[in-house]
Amino acid sequence: MLAKLAFLAAAASLSAQQTPESATSLSREVKDVFDRCAKAVVKIEATDQHGELSGTGFFVDPTGTLYTAYSVGGEAENVTVEFKGKKYPARQLMADLRSGIAMLKVDLASPALPIGNSDQLEIATPVVAIGYPLDLAETPSFGMIAGFDRKCFGGYFPTRHLRVNLPPQRGEGGAPLLNLKGEVVGILLYSFENNSSCYALPIEAAEKIRADFVRFGEPRHGWIGANVAEASAPVEGSRAVTKEIMKDTPAAESGMKAGDVVLQIGRTKVHEPEDILDASFFLTAGDVVPITVMRGNEKLTFSVQADFHPASHPRPPLLAAPLSNRAMPLNLQSAPERTP
Amino acid sequence: MDEFNDNEITKLLRLKRYEQPPPGYFENFLHEFHRRQRDELLREPLWRICIDRTRDFAASFNLSTLTSYPAAVTAVLVCAAVLSLRIYQTPAPATVAATDRPVLVAPASTEPEWTLASPVATRVFNTRSLRNMTKSAQTHRSGTPRYVLDSVPVSYETTFKF
Repeated sequence: MLAKLAFLAAAASLSAQQTPESATSLSREVKDVFDRCAKAVVKIEATDQHGELSGTGFFVDPTGTLYTAYSVGGEAENVTVEFKGKKYPARQLMADLRSGIAMLKVDLASPALPIGNSDQLEIATPVVAIGYPLDLAETPSFGMIAGFDRKCFGGYFPTRHLRVNLPPQRGEGGAPLLNLKGEVVGILLYSFENNSSCYALPIEAAEKIRADFVRFGEPRHGWIGANVAEASAPVEGSRAVTKEIMKDTPAAESGMKAGDVVLQIGRTKVHEPEDILDASFFLTAGDVVPITVMRGNEKLTFSVQADFHPASHPRPPLLAAPLSNRAMPLNLQSAPERTP
Repeated sequence: MDEFNDNEITKLLRLKRYEQPPPGYFENFLHEFHRRQRDELLREPLWRICIDRTRDFAASFNLSTLTSYPAAVTAVLVCAAVLSLRIYQTPAPATVAATDRPVLVAPASTEPEWTLASPVATRVFNTRSLRNMTKSAQTHRSGTPRYVLDSVPVSYETTFKF
């Protein structure tokens, strides 16, 4: 009995000692992230049709390329970036309304934040944002991942967004969301009304847009022309059934048909119709993407060359003609090979 | 109606009993309704919106009621006549050319955007290069700027189309 009491007392005193230590340790980690990363985070000032604006951005390469929110650098002019106490003119490289980001360029050698992996984030993973709230200096905010959402504010995001329980303030649009290693995992874009939490675009989505810009000089959102709905029962673990294949689209030319259950698009496995959003955002016009569907008992894979998204403007013609889209039966139940 | 007998109607009602709107339907209904209404309104050409507004404005005055008060109508006509006489007698003011007044002109879209988006979408993204900013950034700034942090996304996605 005495031994038990002694053990409990020891455990209680240990936990009492550990709690402040953990908090101190966490605080130290946040401070460390802030000390390392704040130098690559800049205040952006510009003018747009409504007047002067102020937001946040961050360098992603040593040649002065930076990310910010579309609302900050997407439709503004006379853009300046405040870096090490000096203001530098910046020019717009690219702005993408679909993802909600813009890329700016300042002609100077800059520090750059390392790019992380938002797929490794889990609920309650601690994160740090560094921004320029109001007319104040760079400020860290600490929070945690609260969810991964595709739908909010009555509409669908173009891809999964990170919901972060972190109190953002005005002026922090375009701020980097960092993990405790100091890597960028997202870009802070939208806040809830009471500013208790916010949404961030996963960094992979921004990097897709940057990759498009590097390859083509502009974002190239892809599209194949299929409309997906929820199936009444799952087939091979997927409830995403094609409701409609639009005429004269890559999907129609490849042989996809209404009623096909979509299992995989590129490397993204599809379980629900909402998974389509993630997969489709990463399609690039002109690229060939394998799409695996279930048609009856047949598992078919189509190689589809994505076209420009209908809302893309302008629509330059693809250099290569669509590849001969063909289907390959993969997992047949003694069905003969055929080409739809 | 004769095609259905009581049994069929009962069967149909029994089936309907299980029909339910998707989750969040009622919460979002008003928001969606307003959004669609705005979208539909924006699709109409400007001249039609003007005509509709004028018609609504005219309809708000119940003309038939006015005619039942001939004295009031007469008074209005007399006032109008007096005013018009005074206006005609006033010398014309000197015309001042407002040449230095900035004129705001919306940039004309050379090509109409086309989209397969349903009326639910509020804004359609587009990927055109927006602006070539060659102007000097050394602009004098005064006053408080707008500190940016959006509360809604700049664009929405059409549902499950790819």
